[in-house]
Amino acid sequence: MKKNDLLLRFLLGGSAVALSYLVTVISPWKILGGIFAAFPAVMLTAVLMMGISSGSKKAANIATGSVFGMIGGIVCVATVLLVLQASGNWMFSIISGVILWLGSSFAISEMKEHTKKRSLSRA
Amino acid sequence: MSGLSLSALLIRFILGGTAVIASTIISRKLGDRAGGIFAAFPAVFLAALLTNGLDFHGQELISHSILLSKGAIFGMAINIGVAILAGYLLPRQGWKRGLTEAMVCWFVVSMVVVMITSNYESKGGLHEKK
Repeated sequence: MKKNDLLLRFLLGGSAVALSYLVTVISPWKILGGIFAAFPAVMLTAVLMMGISSGSKKAANIATGSVFGMIGGIVCVATVLLVLQASGNWMFSIISGVILWLGSSFAISEMKEHTKKRSLSRA
Repeated sequence: MSGLSLSALLIRFILGGTAVIASTIISRKLGDRAGGIFAAFPAVFLAALLTNGLDFHGQELISHSILLSKGAIFGMAINIGVAILAGYLLPRQGWKRGLTEAMVCWFVVSMVVVMITSNYESKGGLHEKK
C-alpha cells in the first residue's frame, strides 16, 4: 500500500469530520448545525475512496459492511448513555462504548454471515 | 457548542483520518465487510464526547455527555438507513450517483428529524412556561 495513498485518505477523512464540526459552529442556521453533528463523514470518505480506486461494487461492499458498524454505533451510544447514568464515570463510559461498538459490530456481521451460509446450504 | 475550538477541530481531524486509514487497511487484509465496520467508526460522536471533556468538568460534564448521547441515537439510526440505501444504490447506479443520492436522502431525513425534535422541544418549553 502506497504511503501517499494512505496520507491522502487520512487527510480526506480528517477533513470531512473536521468540516462537519466547522458547519455546526459557523452555520448561522441552528438546524444545519444539528444535522451535521451526526454527519457520516468517515463512511462517506471510505466509500468515496473505494469508489475511486476499485469501482462501484467494492464501494457498495464497504457501504453494506458499514451497516453493521452503524448498528454497533447505536450500541456504542447506548452503552455510553447507560454507563454515564449508572456510574457517572465519564472515561469508563467512553472505553466501554468503543469496546462494545467493535464487539457488537463484528458479532452482528458474523451472525448475518452465518445465517446467509445456512440458508445457502439448505437451498 | 458556542465558539470554534482548535483542540476540538484537531481531535476530530485525527479521529476521522485514523478511522478512514483503519477502514482501508482492514478491508485489504480482512475483507470489505470488516473494512466497512471501521468505515462506520463513530468518530463524530466520540470526538464530541472528548471535546466535552475539555470544556466541562464534574457533574456538568456528565449531564452534557448524557444530552449529547441522547441526540446521537437519532443520528445513528438515520445513518443506518443511509448505509443500507447506499449499499442498494451503488451497484445499480454507479458509486458517484448512488453516493450522491444516498447523501441527499441523509440530508432530507436529518432535516425533517431535527425540525420535528426542535418543534417538540420548543412546545415542551412553552408548557413549562405556563
